Amino acid sequence: MNFNGTFTQVIDELVQQVMPSLVIVRGHRYGAGAGIVWDTNGLILTNNHVVGRHTPVVILQNDGEYESRLLARDPDVDLALLSIEATNLTPLKPVSGSPRVGEMVFAFGHPWGQRNTVTRGIVSALTFAQNRRGDTLPIVRSDVPLAPGNSGGPLVNASGEVIGINAMIVGGDQSVSIAASVANDFVRKALANSNIEGKRSQRTPQDVI
Amino acid sequence: MSKSVLVELSDALADAAEKAGKATVLVNARRRIPASGIAYSAELILTADHVIEREEDIKVNLADGTEVPAKVAGRDAGSDVAVLKLERPVETATVAEVSKSPARLGQIALVLGRPSTNGIEASLGTVSAIGGPIRTGRGGMLERYIRTDGISYPGFSGGPLVAADGTVLGLNTSGLANGAAVTIPADIAWNIAETLAKHGRIKRGYLGIRSQSVEIPSNSQTLLKREQATGLLILSVENDSPAAKGGLMVGDILIAVAGTPVLHHDELFSRLNGDVVGKSTPIEILRGGQPQTVNIVVGER
Repeated sequence: MNFNGTFTQVIDELVQQVMPSLVIVRGHRYGAGAGIVWDTNGLILTNNHVVGRHTPVVILQNDGEYESRLLARDPDVDLALLSIEATNLTPLKPVSGSPRVGEMVFAFGHPWGQRNTVTRGIVSALTFAQNRRGDTLPIVRSDVPLAPGNSGGPLVNASGEVIGINAMIVGGDQSVSIAASVANDFVRKALANSNIEGKRSQRTPQDVI
Repeated sequence: MSKSVLVELSDALADAAEKAGKATVLVNARRRIPASGIAYSAELILTADHVIEREEDIKVNLADGTEVPAKVAGRDAGSDVAVLKLERPVETATVAEVSKSPARLGQIALVLGRPSTNGIEASLGTVSAIGGPIRTGRGGMLERYIRTDGISYPGFSGGPLVAADGTVLGLNTSGLANGAAVTIPADIAWNIAETLAKHGRIKRGYLGIRSQSVEIPSNSQTLLKREQATGLLILSVENDSPAAKGGLMVGDILIAVAGTPVLHHDELFSRLNGDVVGKSTPIEILRGGQPQTVNIVVGER
């Protein structure tokens, strides 16, 4: 098979497909992390540790800056759900099945503040981390080099589906992403437990979290 | 439509990891985290020697989760290769398929390991160097080695380097080069394993000479009827050594062992391994500029 040119093209298509859903999540005191557009009407998923003590500013690909509201956060899965007042956004689709060890993955984020960076690798291991509650949390380990600023961004497969939320950098070369199934559960519970429409229209006090 | 090329490649890599992963086992023979191994046959496991820190209570976990006790069938610190024998043959075990062509520079390769019971682990790299011969840090000689830029996670020693079609290119170990990961090419690793399975150890030959590499004069090369730039000038012969018994003398230039030209000391080192030990072996020399062959029974170190 002649891959000449084809490969560059398919990677470019993947980047074009995923990039609109990548946002910057800028805390008020700390550096910026990444976030994922989760629905068309302003739901943004990111890491809990990116949010910090104050609700952050979300910056879209069109450079639009939005004050966000914190809908839910859970340090035990290191996820937070934000809402911004924007519509017609392009969300990413979470993967439906289980990822496979060896499949290609691409991390989107802003490592070391370098905006809209794409790094590639493969799924290294499908394993578990234990959180403070003692729960086991399914995680995706990959050989993608992640750095601060990747946190909260998506790890996508070759089809552009989210298979993980980039979270932790363990040591130098073990990158950890929270499995998409965990993110799905987190968002589902967050939406079920709160009157989202009410919360969306009501300003969250910035210092009460 | 073109998108599927990326998905196809991704699927192929996952298929390769799955295929080779079935032949990649967990080897628990040390106190720290377990290491990896390769299913060599239904009852033999190929692994790295340095991960075998105890010879009792060795456990092997196959890809299907079966845990089988194992014993050391043979080990060689010099090449960092060991062969374990499972207490019972496992018919369901998937034996590793060795790649038909050796590793090529630039080729995509998966580094595989099974350091936990949570499933196979992998990283992706390319073959970044093929080199050798080198002396290992453990007193052995590796004729060829492979280096990749894939990540060797903790516990990956003893696991396979895998081509994109799921066949095995070599045995990974961090025990040969001061902790850096290198890969022993599959043909070499399998040869060593065969000897270890048969004899339990690798015989290393001994002649009893000290030598240095010297240029061979062109008129001697003409007499040899081959172009061989260097040989080994014999500087001393130990008393009662195989070399002394065979009649080698100070001043002889050793140029071939068993028909294979020897240009450098390292090559003599690798020529004297394995089969020639204990056998009468033709050693070609230049004596007074004239080619000559003497037969020497190679000793064992």
